[in-house]
Amino acid sequence: MSEHLWSMTRRQFLGNFYTGLAGIGLADLFAAEDGWQPGRGQTHHPARARRVLQIFCPGAASHLDLWDHKPALAKHAGKALPGEEKLVSFQGANGGLFPSPWKFRPAGQSGKMISSMLPHMARHADDIAFIHSMTSKTNTHGPGCIFMNTGHAVEGFPAAGAWLGHALGSANENLPAYVAIPDIRGEPPNGKANWSNGFLPARHQGIVMAAHEPIRNLTGPRDLTDKEREATGGLLDFLNRRHATVDPGNSELQARITAYELAGKMQLSAPQVMNLAGETATTHKLYGTDDSNTLKAAYARNCLLARRLLERGVRYVNLYCASRASGADGALNWDAHKTLQKDYERHIPIFDQPTAALLTDLKQRGLLRDTLVLWTTEFGRMPTQQAGTPGRDHNPDGFTCWLMGAGIQGGTSYGATDEFGRRAVDKVTTVWDLHATVLHLLGFDHTRLNWRHNGLDRRLTDVHGSVIPDILV
Amino acid sequence: MTRIALAVWLALPGALTAAPPNFAKEVAPILEQHCIRCHHPGNRKGELSLTTMSDLKESGQVVPGKPDESPLLKLVTPKAGSTRARMPKEGKPLTAAEVAVLRRWIAEGATWPEGAVLREKAKADGTWWSLQPLGKAEPLAPPGLPADWANHAIDRFVFARLAEKGLRPSPPADRLTLIRRLTYDLTGLPPSPSEIEKFLHDNAPDAYEKLVDRLLASPQYGEQWGRHWLDVVRFGESNGYERNVLINNVWPFRDYVIRSLNEDRPFDQLILEHLAGDVVARGKPDREIGTAFLVCGPYDNVGNGDPAQAALIRANHLDEIIRATAESFLGLTLGCARCHDHKFDPITQRDYYSLYATFAGVRHADRPIVSKDERETQQAQLEKLKKQRDQLGKERDDLLQVIRRRDAQPTAAEEARLGELKTELDKLNQAIAAAPPLPRVWAGTFDADAGKRPYHLFLGGDPQKKGAAVTPASLSVLAGLPSRYELPATASETDRRLALAKWIIGADNPLTPRVLANRLWHYHFGTGIVDTPSDFGWMGSRPSHPELLDWLARQVDVHGWKLKPLHRLIVTSQTYRQASTWSDAAAKADADSRLLWRFPPRRLTGEEVRDTMLTAAAKLDRSKMGGPGFRLYRYVEDNVATYHPLDRHGPETYRRAVYHQNARAARVDLLSDFDCPDPAAAAPRRASTTTPLQALALLNHRFTHDMAQFASARVEKEAGTRSADQVRLAFVLAYGRPPDAEELERCVPVVEKHGLRTLWRALLNSSELIYLR
Repeated sequence: MSEHLWSMTRRQFLGNFYTGLAGIGLADLFAAEDGWQPGRGQTHHPARARRVLQIFCPGAASHLDLWDHKPALAKHAGKALPGEEKLVSFQGANGGLFPSPWKFRPAGQSGKMISSMLPHMARHADDIAFIHSMTSKTNTHGPGCIFMNTGHAVEGFPAAGAWLGHALGSANENLPAYVAIPDIRGEPPNGKANWSNGFLPARHQGIVMAAHEPIRNLTGPRDLTDKEREATGGLLDFLNRRHATVDPGNSELQARITAYELAGKMQLSAPQVMNLAGETATTHKLYGTDDSNTLKAAYARNCLLARRLLERGVRYVNLYCASRASGADGALNWDAHKTLQKDYERHIPIFDQPTAALLTDLKQRGLLRDTLVLWTTEFGRMPTQQAGTPGRDHNPDGFTCWLMGAGIQGGTSYGATDEFGRRAVDKVTTVWDLHATVLHLLGFDHTRLNWRHNGLDRRLTDVHGSVIPDILV
Repeated sequence: MTRIALAVWLALPGALTAAPPNFAKEVAPILEQHCIRCHHPGNRKGELSLTTMSDLKESGQVVPGKPDESPLLKLVTPKAGSTRARMPKEGKPLTAAEVAVLRRWIAEGATWPEGAVLREKAKADGTWWSLQPLGKAEPLAPPGLPADWANHAIDRFVFARLAEKGLRPSPPADRLTLIRRLTYDLTGLPPSPSEIEKFLHDNAPDAYEKLVDRLLASPQYGEQWGRHWLDVVRFGESNGYERNVLINNVWPFRDYVIRSLNEDRPFDQLILEHLAGDVVARGKPDREIGTAFLVCGPYDNVGNGDPAQAALIRANHLDEIIRATAESFLGLTLGCARCHDHKFDPITQRDYYSLYATFAGVRHADRPIVSKDERETQQAQLEKLKKQRDQLGKERDDLLQVIRRRDAQPTAAEEARLGELKTELDKLNQAIAAAPPLPRVWAGTFDADAGKRPYHLFLGGDPQKKGAAVTPASLSVLAGLPSRYELPATASETDRRLALAKWIIGADNPLTPRVLANRLWHYHFGTGIVDTPSDFGWMGSRPSHPELLDWLARQVDVHGWKLKPLHRLIVTSQTYRQASTWSDAAAKADADSRLLWRFPPRRLTGEEVRDTMLTAAAKLDRSKMGGPGFRLYRYVEDNVATYHPLDRHGPETYRRAVYHQNARAARVDLLSDFDCPDPAAAAPRRASTTTPLQALALLNHRFTHDMAQFASARVEKEAGTRSADQVRLAFVLAYGRPPDAEELERCVPVVEKHGLRTLWRALLNSSELIYLR
């Protein structure tokens, strides 16, 4: 049993109950012949991907210093950006063109030019499809983050992981279908709205869990004895079963009994998945969980947790590398307004090895065949420096995201920004296009996955989005 | 107005006999169905509009007489090997027959009748049910009407619908059930053992009515029903978005709502104050505060150097206010008309921007809210001090000048006087600086200049693409009502909001009383007569009892917009007083009891769950009404805010949950788990979900443990030392009823072996505690 065990509203319980669908467990998904219904493990068409790992670098990780090589910046360093000589952006006036402080080097068979600051990630270049022509509709972090996660720049909408939970239901009754792993430094901009269920039922919310932070309320007060706990459980079961017979029409009462059983199972299975001690020394070394850089080690442990969740059937994992903005720009996340070099020499090493290790590990275990990996950030950065300081301002008009794994054509570079990286000019891509593609790989037509709310059939892609066939196998 | 334009055109004989295909009957519907939504002057996707003949000419999409050279035809025809044409990008593709019509039309010269304007039609038009005047139907006496259902209008309406489906009402609920149901419904709290006792033994014929009156008169009524309204108006106490910082002076709005409901102030007055309290009640703080409604939603305060982005953010703020207004009071999803005419309801983009012009002066900010007396006293005091300062200052200046002119050292007397003056002036300056500032409330500020600017449609919702000019006006679809208005472009900022408020509460506006009456019904029965309480449009639901809804809506005016008489009306009906006993047979016809063959059971809300636990433990401080809220999170602000849920809820939190300082995008234990909404958006109807996270929170959070301990201590104190007596009291406190023999037999040994707190932990987790029948 799955979806209706994990939790349910009464109507859905009845639906599953009467159709006798006993849940899907870890069995394969199946494409609905017709009459697709949400929450039953059915897809619209055969799926390439069974689960998603979304790695998110909040703060607007610079495409120009990581993935999008622009030699013209060095050639015209210090000169005004042609056509936008008086550019005013989020924080104000801009100075001249600002080359990346780091060299780019060719990586893999494809010879993809990648920042020399990313030696570990460079080894995966041939498996990655880069989209260099991403655009956002906002230049502010919070709205940008939730736009990337929910398809809307205002709060109140479900995240992609919540939509997937709604579409499929859970694959493991002992763990949530959707897990968000915030960074040890804190929540991303706009916090919990990034993994919200929005208007979808509460069971679809992303459950927060990290190596440094177990699921809330997993254990009770210490001063209770096991005997007391047992006695409470026994009495509670008696009371609830008796009450359920008083109103046989109210299936919520039955659902509550099941919810307590499930809670009991989660109390057992969640600590198991969190326990990294059983992993080999080689694995720990690969990820860097014992690195002397404590921020890197903490992120590495979250990477390892992500793999453990994915292999246990969690459908959507939102893994964050960095947090929301602090008082000092660029200190806690990728928001390098003033001191790009110093900031990124802190952030990139935290990200590089553990992320690459996670990808290697997924690949070694065969999980990459049906796991879709996304690397996202809320927008890009300006090719110019901010007036008077060696940093970059926000740029929603062109940036990079990438995909890897299930159904993705590796070694691809799709779309492009102009020669300075200021704007997407070739195959301009929206967040909605990215979501449409993700849903497509998961077996869904994004225009048919919707939910009636406040007078509208809402969907992850709003009223937009087209699948990007060029990056698919 | 397509229909009008086409109708006029259809009347022309020449057009009717034009060469086939017939433009109006064959071509126009294809363009209207497939193309116009994106390609009209208010949107112009791909810089293209297809609504008029000149649009078409300008577009170059059609080469008359040459279908194969017309880009339009290529775009709607799938390429060989492809299943889908490039256009339309969304929605159904054109059928082959439709493409053939277009081909023929172009081949025949692509004639476009003079003056024809195409427009995407909304699904609903002015004949939509919720836009009609309130019906005058009185309840009939259908055959088979039970005698005790004959006296109350509501019962006769409900019985008539039941009878149509061959259903019968349930027998009346027993008194234990009734007092629990009614006490939760009207106050959000369980009845106390003594209240139960008293009601059970009250033999007066009007015992129930007395109970209703007592509960409606209790201050807890306003707390319960105020909470409902705060859901509707998306009341939150942080700004949301990236910074999400707490707003610590918007709580007076919560107190205003609770106070106004307790005093049973007419609801139309509240609406007036919500939109224009600064105009209708200036100097009356208790009412002026209503305008906090406008600014208690989320808004983005990050700031933006990019002027286009800044304009968009500002438009988002106003959009939030427009939507909250239209949904809360009118039950219309006006926000859909921001980028294009509403696809479903007869609301135009012009209607939307008329409201934009109405609210354009509203700013998210606080302002001093004080009585006229307070303001004047404060000013008088300050002026007196300043006057003294000016006098002394002048004396000093004069003296200094005298000394300077004399060009000699000041005399000893002068020296002394200067010293005195300095001391006096310092004192006065300190007093002026220390004068207490006027109390400020987060109720918005209003920019008078907003009344002096021109306003336009934003094409596709983009502030950089200005369309036709707009002025403040009532909704066009209700333009037939006497209350309609259209203000000149020069109307003042305050007149704009006042005109809208007066129109919303106008005697002929059918939406406002319908929406209000339905909200009351929704909270009493768990489901509204319209089960989408903030959407009475095409995408919303149809009323289950349309005549009853209109009858109730008329009672709003009959009772002078006071809510308490309406509550009394509803809860004294037999419909409300029925048992909730399940029936397989009835459920086959109406599983959810929308037709009310039984009272529909419901789960308690998150607030009710917490308040109930505190009440059972005798820890709820009912006297702490109003004022700043308490927090179930630790608040950390470092440029942006983070909310860490608390592992321990201390005694300072033992207040009713309505006083929790609800921040946006902050999850707290128990309340969030039990579906208390995030005020990121309005919650006109709460979810009621069942999740393992609820079980984890109720089982393991320290709060349950604390309440179990307190409740145990209370029971020991009040019930004496016999376990059976203790179990009896615990059951009455938790369930409002004594245990039966089997329960007693099961519970007593648990208490004796493991102590009372084990019993209590089970009770606090149990279903019966959190379900109402």
